[in-house]
Amino acid sequence: MKIRTIALSTFGSLVRNRLLIVFGVLFVCTVLLMMTPLLGAKAIAKMGQAQQAEAMVMGMVSAIMFFVSGTGSLLAAWCAADAVASEMKSGTILAVMARPVRRWEFLLGKYAGVMLLMSMYVVMMYGLSWVLAWIGGERLHATTWVVLAYPMVRYAVYSAMAMALVTVLHPVVTMGITLIVAVLALIVQPTGQAVGSHWKYLRVPLWITLPSTSLLSEERFLTIAHASVKQTGWLQHLTTLGYGLDYALVLVLIAMWSFHYRGLTRD
Amino acid sequence: MTTAAIEFKEVTKVYRRRLAGQEVPALTQVSFEVGAGEVCAFLGPNGAGKTTSINILMGFLYADWGEIRVLGYEPGDVRAKQKIGFVPENFAFYKHLNAEKLLRFHLALAGGDMSKSAGLIRDLLFKVQLQGYEKLKIGKYSRGMVQRLGIAQALLSDPQLLVLDEPTSGLDPAGRKEVKDLIHTMKQEGKTIFLSSHILSEVEQICDRAIIINKGRLVRMGSLNELLGTGDLVEMVVDQLPTEMEPVLAEWGATIECGAQGVRITMPVARKRELAEKLWAAGCDVVSMVPVRSSLEDLYMKLVGGSEPV
Repeated sequence: MKIRTIALSTFGSLVRNRLLIVFGVLFVCTVLLMMTPLLGAKAIAKMGQAQQAEAMVMGMVSAIMFFVSGTGSLLAAWCAADAVASEMKSGTILAVMARPVRRWEFLLGKYAGVMLLMSMYVVMMYGLSWVLAWIGGERLHATTWVVLAYPMVRYAVYSAMAMALVTVLHPVVTMGITLIVAVLALIVQPTGQAVGSHWKYLRVPLWITLPSTSLLSEERFLTIAHASVKQTGWLQHLTTLGYGLDYALVLVLIAMWSFHYRGLTRD
Repeated sequence: MTTAAIEFKEVTKVYRRRLAGQEVPALTQVSFEVGAGEVCAFLGPNGAGKTTSINILMGFLYADWGEIRVLGYEPGDVRAKQKIGFVPENFAFYKHLNAEKLLRFHLALAGGDMSKSAGLIRDLLFKVQLQGYEKLKIGKYSRGMVQRLGIAQALLSDPQLLVLDEPTSGLDPAGRKEVKDLIHTMKQEGKTIFLSSHILSEVEQICDRAIIINKGRLVRMGSLNELLGTGDLVEMVVDQLPTEMEPVLAEWGATIECGAQGVRITMPVARKRELAEKLWAAGCDVVSMVPVRSSLEDLYMKLVGGSEPV
């Protein structure tokens, strides 16, 4: 009940957050701009060059969804960091924590509120991928739950990471570190050509430590042409999602532990 | 023997700035108790350690040393917090909520009966004179209204212990009187009140006891009678004083001041009846007779006056 109350209040605060609203407007404008070439692809398809148009649409949808999905990771991190930091900054945390609420319940409520917002974002993202494919005159052949579950797990990891960091660091520093982690997680692959000797020794520890964003990416399941749909087994799905959830759980536990020992004062 | 509502035993707290390698002692072996049903003032200049002590007893900060018990529990224990109402200094709220929604939010966190929330919230808002403003967003409230709403949320779960950190800050005289009356009502209901304030005249009217700290150390504590004295002297105002009585009064060690309202005589309390009888016999009228007590402000200034904030 208490966790639910805090989660709903966090969600309410986030959707009213002015910075988030401005971000949302800018984001929509950018996506609209990116969508313009899709209309061109539709014209190409009408001219009888179906294969060329399909390849073009696939590329564009993929690029837009990469942008939207990647922004979602940062949004999840920012919301998580802000949900805790804004309470500390304004001092509202004092009134809340004076209630019979345990510190872990407060943090879990905040986390649940952020995940509630991100679940809306994921549904919106799924709708957007359909709309994009439709504008390009194509159809998506992706399993719905997969396209919804993978980004949710990825966002769970990034919001947990930001929440753990913000319990000890300033939110701007938290966002900086999360951004670096997100970029590194995209770059680092377990195999491949090593660029230099230092990178060679860094790659494996980094790959183990950082969340595997590419593994948790829903993009590989977002296919337009039916022929290119890759069959992924249940065990593979379970292992991958289990990995992501485990990663998020560890980070949430670290956040709770860290939050338990910190002083709650107005920053 | 009743359990003390608040127990502080040799509590020490040091703020550490790790990067700068600095240590700032906020509290040094502070010990005090607040009994159940008492109204206790917690006084001290800015930076004396009042808010740190309150934050420790609420479980927001951890003490480095010492023992603390709040209603018999460790600070921050949910069983204790269930029975505590807290108004922090400069109360902050979610500005997008209105009073009704905010109180519902706090009631849910307190584990209150939500089916009775409407009536309870209405009564509380009436008590703090915010009826009619239920639907107005808190962001549009004046400072005084916010403070009164803070008191309303503190009273939500019918607390045993009220911890008020500067409850009258930012309030106009009328608002301060309302808060003072509210505290009086709560005192009559048998609630324990621990309040930090800078308005000493009000503290003197409301509180049974006072604890004074300065630079993180306990300076003085006790009941107001103990602190201010029970009055070894009495001040008597008479319309006139026969000249033949002046040597007698001088012999008793009395001081005489003539003013527009009459003659003010300050003398030992043991002689008051004797003097009153002599004055009446001489045809004088005794306008007033009050015991002389030093004010809390005098005591405060004597103990901490002129001290620099820590």
